[in-house]
Amino acid sequence: MVDQPFWITVISAFVVLNVMLIGMAYMTWFERRMLAQMQDRVGPNRTGPFGLLQPIADGVKLLGKEDIIPEHADKRIFLIAPLITFVTAPLIALFIPFGDPVTIAGQEISLAVTDISVAALFVIGISSVGTYGIILGGYASANRYSLLGALRSAAQVISYEIVLGLSLVGVFILSGSLSLVTIVNEQRQALDFFGVEIPNWFIFSQPLAFVLFMIAGVAETNRPPFDLPEAETELTGGFHTEYSGFRWSFYFLGEFIAVIVISLLAATLFLGGIDGPIKDGVWWLLLKTFIFLFFFVWLRATLPRFRYDQLMGLAWKVLLPLTLFNLLLTGFIVLERNGDTNVLGFIRDLLFGWI
Amino acid sequence: MSTEVLVFDILAVVAVIAALGVILARNPVHSAVALIVTFINLAAIFVMLHAEFLAAVQLLVYTGAVTVLIVFVIFLVKVDDLPEFYGGNPVQRIFALLIGLALLGEVAAAILTRSAIGASDIWTAEAIADAGGNAEVIGQVLYSEYVLAIQITAVLLLVGTVAALVLARPASATLPDRVKRTGLISLAHPRGADREVAAALPAGLEASRRGETSGVRFDDRGVILVDNAEAFTDQTAWGGDRLEGDD
Repeated sequence: MVDQPFWITVISAFVVLNVMLIGMAYMTWFERRMLAQMQDRVGPNRTGPFGLLQPIADGVKLLGKEDIIPEHADKRIFLIAPLITFVTAPLIALFIPFGDPVTIAGQEISLAVTDISVAALFVIGISSVGTYGIILGGYASANRYSLLGALRSAAQVISYEIVLGLSLVGVFILSGSLSLVTIVNEQRQALDFFGVEIPNWFIFSQPLAFVLFMIAGVAETNRPPFDLPEAETELTGGFHTEYSGFRWSFYFLGEFIAVIVISLLAATLFLGGIDGPIKDGVWWLLLKTFIFLFFFVWLRATLPRFRYDQLMGLAWKVLLPLTLFNLLLTGFIVLERNGDTNVLGFIRDLLFGWI
Repeated sequence: MSTEVLVFDILAVVAVIAALGVILARNPVHSAVALIVTFINLAAIFVMLHAEFLAAVQLLVYTGAVTVLIVFVIFLVKVDDLPEFYGGNPVQRIFALLIGLALLGEVAAAILTRSAIGASDIWTAEAIADAGGNAEVIGQVLYSEYVLAIQITAVLLLVGTVAALVLARPASATLPDRVKRTGLISLAHPRGADREVAAALPAGLEASRRGETSGVRFDDRGVILVDNAEAFTDQTAWGGDRLEGDD
């Protein structure tokens, strides 16, 4: 852990949060352009070159819109709820290590804003707090569609959060740490795979956990095909039906930040983060994150929405047993590797000991 | 150091105000929101005390899960139907006061005892750092000294899960009832769970006719079909509890 003055941490947090906001604005542009390409359309191309000024134009437009509060709404909660989603989403980026510590003017500066020893748990905890924005917003709107969307969101997030958390336990077992910095450093070692040297990225040792993490991540961010809380064909917008203007855009932007954050996390936890074949650095992390962002847009353009009972069935009957199986397998392999116990002998005794 | 004190003061004041909000708010949802704020502030204080694991658990278990349950209960309770919620019953009030005082006494006793005997000499800051950190030490202690308690807790949680499943199961699972309920809940029910229902089609159809869901039938895939839009809307699930002569 790098020892640095408080004000440096404040400045680096400020920089990271603002980069997240800009990244989110251009994520909307990227998604619209990319969706248009996939659907053989043009997409936004009038505002600036390639429509690059479109996010700014959208922001100004949304700021100018009327902020409508329904008459029977629970006003205080109605006003606060979008902010909860919007504020909690970018916080997770503060745990991501963006590079090795650098030394500027004799002062060592950590490129992970904060390196808490249990950062991975915090990530899950903060994302669960972010759900309150959706639940409370749906409740406060005094609208049945909103309430249905909120309840769906609560059930969905509780179910998929379990999968999300448990899929990471395999990574924790292998790296022996809950700190994202340690997890990244662990992945930067080289691994000898039958004479070929490959990086020790956890996507190679935990492929099942990676797939489960990505599925749960898509569900956690309410993105298609898991966007049931806001399914417009059945719920006319779900939890944000009654929201308008900039409050609505807080939800919208919170979702995009969550997508970026999940991509950053997937790149950090499973693809080695800043680790790359030539020169380690933040550019590798950005490249990997970009691949995941493309994946999210691709999913939206490709897959139709799940039916609700399918969604819950998938989480509890398929994904959860798979994560538990992955956990069991990883535990056995690590014990066997460490020579702590003779697992194979134990299984043999268990199965054939009675003979 | 002064920054730390300032941040602690802010966190502590907000936590106390939010805690007051929990018991003073008239609307149960506002109470729940105040509880979330309290928990988050407590988690932040734990981080400042270098008890990161405790803070993460506070966020995950308390803020994340327990309060979701509270919100669920509140969704299912109508605020206007709760006159006793505002504390009209004197017996309840006295009990609440006694229990509150007892809890306060317990906490005070724990704090006073601790300050009398001083900090534990087993797990000093250095010892924890040597053992690899908070999470590691808690793991070692929980799974060696307190392993029996952990296992009992696990069994308790399992019992709770099974109890919830039993409660959620329909009380009377006779076939006509299930056919009726299937018709009430979903028009495109998943295959598998209700195949038996679909197989018993003639009997089930009779039952569903008696249950005012005429025009509804099942095909061999377990999908429920309706003849026309009226049959769809006539199902009780879409109209709530229909009264006699409602139409």
